[in-house]
Amino acid sequence: MASTLILLVIGLSWLGALLVWWVGDKRSALQHALAIFFSVASGAASIALIFNASSSTVINLDAGGVFGQFTFVADGLGVYLAAIATVIGSLAVIFSVNYMHGEKGLGRYYAMVLFFIGGMAGLVLTSNLLLMFLFWEITALCSYALIAFHNDDPKAVAGGIKALIITQLGGIGLLAGALILYSQTGSYDFNQMIANPGIINPRLLSGMAFGCLIAAAAKSAQFPFFTWLPDAMEAPTPISALIHAATMVNAGVYLLARFYPAFEAVPGWKISVILVGMISAFISAIMALFANDLKRVLAYSTISQLGYMVFAIGCGGIYASQFHLLSHSVFKALLFLGAGAIIHSVGTRDMREMGGLGKKMPFTRFVFIIGALALAGIPILNGFWSKELVLEAGLTGGPVWAYAIMLITAGLTAFYTFRMVWMVFYGKPSEKHIHDAQPAMKVALAPLALGAVVAWLLAGPFASLLQSTLPAHNIHPASTMEVIVEVIKAPATYVALAVVALGLVSWWQRENLAGVSKAFKWLGTIAENSFGFEAVNKFIVRETQATAEELRDTQTGLLNWNIAGLLIGLIAVIIILVMGG
Amino acid sequence: MTNIPMIIMLAVLGLVGVGFYALLATRNLIKVIIALQILVKGGLLAMVLAGRIQGQVMVGQSMALTAIVADTIVAVVGLALAVQVRKHHGTIDLKQLTKLKR
Repeated sequence: MASTLILLVIGLSWLGALLVWWVGDKRSALQHALAIFFSVASGAASIALIFNASSSTVINLDAGGVFGQFTFVADGLGVYLAAIATVIGSLAVIFSVNYMHGEKGLGRYYAMVLFFIGGMAGLVLTSNLLLMFLFWEITALCSYALIAFHNDDPKAVAGGIKALIITQLGGIGLLAGALILYSQTGSYDFNQMIANPGIINPRLLSGMAFGCLIAAAAKSAQFPFFTWLPDAMEAPTPISALIHAATMVNAGVYLLARFYPAFEAVPGWKISVILVGMISAFISAIMALFANDLKRVLAYSTISQLGYMVFAIGCGGIYASQFHLLSHSVFKALLFLGAGAIIHSVGTRDMREMGGLGKKMPFTRFVFIIGALALAGIPILNGFWSKELVLEAGLTGGPVWAYAIMLITAGLTAFYTFRMVWMVFYGKPSEKHIHDAQPAMKVALAPLALGAVVAWLLAGPFASLLQSTLPAHNIHPASTMEVIVEVIKAPATYVALAVVALGLVSWWQRENLAGVSKAFKWLGTIAENSFGFEAVNKFIVRETQATAEELRDTQTGLLNWNIAGLLIGLIAVIIILVMGG
Repeated sequence: MTNIPMIIMLAVLGLVGVGFYALLATRNLIKVIIALQILVKGGLLAMVLAGRIQGQVMVGQSMALTAIVADTIVAVVGLALAVQVRKHHGTIDLKQLTKLKR
């Protein structure tokens, strides 16, 4: 049963991708319909898969030779991430019906989206590290292709290439991990290593642990690789919601959570994870304070929230991090799709040109504010419960200073969230002709808004799902009621709420605090330059290009020289063979 | 004295040597193709020889036959390209054909 469902989840999306492409751009109505049908069907299969979760291998394809067995496991961590990828994927596809209406190249768009959904589901369901690497690269490829979807816009193309290069850099870390695993155990199956990390030489294990950390940091846009995510905002907005908020960027968090039992004991690994998460969360929250592009604010807040998840993993709070991942996927997809509706209607991403949209877009305002409140961590919305769990994990499992910085970040989150809502929906109305979200957009936004309000009720079943199928992760089962009581009883909750409230009050009192904001002007200048990381990026790019120019002289283009080089190589090989033989 | 494998081996080395020398020395595109042909003939002989030494005469010979077919196509396409290059650029001197560089 589970094996059929896994094949359906991946296969249906990929079949859909082929069909949409094959139908051709002349029949765009059919393309929309096919894309919706296949993404929704794949979503349904993945929801059914949740009820068939188990910790045993359910598919075992013999790939032959060094590839070993291509295995798939439907355990708790995998099935719920696959469900997020396919369900939010289908909502993004539904949203696209209005958003992408009349665009050129719909076949390419939908084919890539569906290819991505299948690849993401495969990434989280496989237990073969090499196969995981392949799926990992498939998602990176789709991300690149979709960021650069408007391929006549040089900014979009540059953003796509940047994302591709940085995530490839991380992919090398994952590939190194896969090769170490193979050299030590003779197979790519990582479940035996998670159950018993002792089978790997401690030094190689630590190499693998930090390789995976680099891979995760690059994929999840964490410090110091976060610069690609803001530039990825050139993508069509449903893509930002699906790939750059709800699914692909979670792959890094998933990787860390998956391997946590194996890497837990590696010296220095946990504190590195905490530091990566903390620095990312803090500095990207500051950058979000000063950004004026609506999608960039959301991108920075995505980095910041992913930082929370990474931080929780470093503190040992696997459940807290995965629960926050679930909440974040829902409310951030909601915010991005809401932003998509706004941008589609206003025609600009600059928040300074919006203002006063609330009256003209009541539905969008309603759902967007729900998402914003969840992001800020206001009680009873899903972001509140999961963020409190993350902070609690930080208090019990991590150093106090890291906890303090995460608390400050929670206050900053509330502050920039309210700044964003205010700049978009309130203030002086603009004169433009504005329309509210269109029907298909509403169909996509409504379930997400509902999810942001009620998804935390799944806390209990979610915990028992993880606990029953992940024996190595040491997760305590707790019912929803117990989670609620735990959060309400913890003093940390009230500290966090006070900080969040402080963030809100300081936005309210921003006129009176003008002196303070003037004092922080220098911070704004630094933040707008992304703390110098853009400069580092540019330096690396410049140096690489300069080196390439230098090396160009070795390429004479003359056949005789090339033959000479070939001959020298051949002679070297023969000499080595003779000496070795 | 009449050691057949040794003679073939010398022939292989001779053909490959002539082929490589010609590739190193010539600047004429036609001569490059001829040099490649000589080089490949050496390779074919080597295949037959290797088959004989390993005791798998059939394998060596059939590989050589396959390579002859492929090699003929390479020669024909190469010559056709040379004709086109001559038409477009007015020369088949390799030194003047370094446009691929930039």
